[in-house]
Amino acid sequence: MKKFLKLIYLSIFLISTEAFAQDNVELVAQCAASAGDVTYLKDFVVKLDAGVPGGNPPSAKFSMVLSKSTQYRFSICTAPDSDGEAILQLFDMNVLQGSTYISATGKEFPFFDFKCQKTGVYHVFISFKEGKPGEAVGILSFVKKL
Amino acid sequence: MLRKFYALFVVSILIFGCKSGGEQNTGDDFKVPEAVVNEGVLEISEEVMQDIVQNIASPVEMAALVKSLDAGFSSKYLAPTENVDDLTTSYQQAFHLGIYAADLGYLNIYNKNNSVIEYITAIKTLADGIRVGQFFDFSTLKRLTQNSQNLDSLMYTSVHSFNQMDKYLRSDNRSNLSTAMVAGIWIEGLYLATQVAKASPHPQLSERIGEQKIIMSDLMLILGNYKSDKNFAKLFDAFNQLKAEFNNVTITIEKGEPEMIEEDGMLVIVQNDVSIVNITPEQLTSIIKKTEEIRNMLISI
Repeated sequence: MKKFLKLIYLSIFLISTEAFAQDNVELVAQCAASAGDVTYLKDFVVKLDAGVPGGNPPSAKFSMVLSKSTQYRFSICTAPDSDGEAILQLFDMNVLQGSTYISATGKEFPFFDFKCQKTGVYHVFISFKEGKPGEAVGILSFVKKL
Repeated sequence: MLRKFYALFVVSILIFGCKSGGEQNTGDDFKVPEAVVNEGVLEISEEVMQDIVQNIASPVEMAALVKSLDAGFSSKYLAPTENVDDLTTSYQQAFHLGIYAADLGYLNIYNKNNSVIEYITAIKTLADGIRVGQFFDFSTLKRLTQNSQNLDSLMYTSVHSFNQMDKYLRSDNRSNLSTAMVAGIWIEGLYLATQVAKASPHPQLSERIGEQKIIMSDLMLILGNYKSDKNFAKLFDAFNQLKAEFNNVTITIEKGEPEMIEEDGMLVIVQNDVSIVNITPEQLTSIIKKTEEIRNMLISI
């Protein structure tokens, strides 16, 4: 009986993973289109569980190379059925460069542009407000050469 | 109760089984070719590898830089596709897939739709060869090439296809092939930049070539992981020769705090850390020469 339950859980998990992957393709396309008149470069698909009360919100990390004299756009799109609202933050080493949510003012932006002046490895972190569970897609786009 | 579980289980297996079958529809032969699966112990973990490999080389950015400098298009910079059927090993297919991805980016940026079809056909053949053809949307790309107004969609579909292939290879325990593909994109992008710099020198292009020293370090770290494979050993040695040409290029950083401004309701971050690349004309000439030699050697079968 336990074996059957395990198999059922596994198959349900696999089906939901497949469904999520299919939804992602559409969400990535929509999010890339909503970024405006820019060239899509990368997508960051995120699905996170709820955080532990009192702890830091869970986040997903993505590392990438950005090039000097280039304007990039970082967009975030929360999935329609997501509990949490997604935030995208860009770090150079441990220095915050930009965020789609400014906690000091409470302002939110669907994207921000980053005028890169230093070629190197940067890190994108995607998390959900108040550590809620959620699904989202981040997009990196090329805007122009500076 | 048990009967209900049975029914649910059978239905779910059927649904999932149908979906999986659809994705695998890339050919008749599903045997795992040689060198497809990672072998041996990795020197750095898979997690660290995935951290490093993201966007290490973009099939679009170098071409965009070249175009922004008003350099004219030249088909002589493109790798030939006529021998694509002779590329039989997984390594060769993955590496050339990267080479053609960079060339496709160059063609797309310059809106050269007439040649695109030749490259997407070659890419489809190679993608099927390493069983990632299901992520390369050949029919959509072919349709998009028939209208020059579709540049944005063409660009999105082709770049997204490569990202999907790359993700799949890594999730399928075939990071070695993902690495070969990335290495192909990178060397072809560098070849394009150096050829344009040779024909019409430009300070911004020289700087971009010089700063490949940073990217090369990461790439070498990844390639070093697979040196036990003779193909990767050859690639590693070739890139090591190229790396030597970058040894005397220096890169300094001027520190500064990022500025946040709002332009027309849009948030713009201006980075005030600035990297400065010092590359002499002699160093540039050596890099151009070595890149040409290595790229031509690597694309010859």
